[in-house]
Amino acid sequence: MQIILPDKSSRIISKDNVPIREILLDLGFAPSGVIVIKNGSVVPDDLIAGDDDEIRIIKIAHGG
Amino acid sequence: MERDNHCSFCSRAAVILGSDEKTRLCQDHLLEDLLRRVNDTIQTNNLIQPGDHIAVALSGGKDSTALILLLSSILKSRTDITVTAITIDEGITGYREETLQNAKNMVKILGINHYILSFAELFGKDLDHLLLGKTHRACTICGVLRRKALTVAARTIGATKIATGHNRDDEAQSVLMNVMRGDITRLVQDSREGSPGLFLPRIKPLSAIYEKELLIYLYVTGHYIELPECPYASTALRREIREIISLFRYKHPEACDGLIDFRDKVRNCNLLTPDPNTIQHCRICKEPCNGDICQACLILRPTIPKYQL
Ligand SMILES: [Zn+2]
Ligand SMILES: [Zn+2]
Repeated sequence: MQIILPDKSSRIISKDNVPIREILLDLGFAPSGVIVIKNGSVVPDDLIAGDDDEIRIIKIAHGG
Repeated sequence: MERDNHCSFCSRAAVILGSDEKTRLCQDHLLEDLLRRVNDTIQTNNLIQPGDHIAVALSGGKDSTALILLLSSILKSRTDITVTAITIDEGITGYREETLQNAKNMVKILGINHYILSFAELFGKDLDHLLLGKTHRACTICGVLRRKALTVAARTIGATKIATGHNRDDEAQSVLMNVMRGDITRLVQDSREGSPGLFLPRIKPLSAIYEKELLIYLYVTGHYIELPECPYASTALRREIREIISLFRYKHPEACDGLIDFRDKVRNCNLLTPDPNTIQHCRICKEPCNGDICQACLILRPTIPKYQL
């Protein structure tokens, strides 16, 4: 699946049927510190992502 | 296998898990939940009274943008309450321009009065210049001066209260920071009440809401704008505390609540009830403070002649 990181860089990871939360933790993101966009929609991070999915991670900036 | 992602209350797709991690909320039910909880915070703590003129501190960042949206919605039928947005322009190159523009857009959409006050106007120099050689203390200096600027701005427009966008994560971080600094005065300080003729009450209507909920709310309602992070933020202890707590929250979901609970219990012990007789007025700016000269004037004095007595 394709992951778009907060800095806009993207990477392909070969994982299928994994909870998004697990992907976040693998990449070093605390689930409470990011929001997840799966194929264009905001989703709860307990959803499962498959090989064809695009997951975009937005880091919650502090302040304001 | 795809999990069923329906809202627990309707047939739409869920965008977030409820705070119990079991209910699932769609965009509309998230908004309903946020409005209910913000309203609860306001009612339970009696934050707003008839006749209030509320100065909403609107930096234009995510928290204050969510605050002004939710507060306008909650107060829209209250003709007895006035809301004015206040933006303090610290003068931070490469950061302030966009957030300021976002603040201007928000007040235009909501039809709210807007009062902008800059550090340069009030103090004679912008933050970038005040910080020359002192960037390691940026957040402390900026915090003290912004607090003062907000007070001046709120008084100028005749506000009775200042509302800020502090969320539940901010509150938990502050508890841990104050504990780590051994600062029990700050830990127990409760600015909700204010003090007649001395301090304007400062209210935090979003204090029960997590920042993740606020960001998702902004995102799904089309108000999310990717804004730069403050260039000085990397120097702050708060940033590290924030990382620690968010990782802890995943492993120990009750950690955030525990910190806030702890603060409230310590507050209720009334360890340090301030004696109104010990409050003095700053020799330079005449604002009420705890010493001879207030924190803001101490910062400004070395560089700006009008603060040198
Ligand atoms: Zn729903
Ligand atoms: Zn002073």
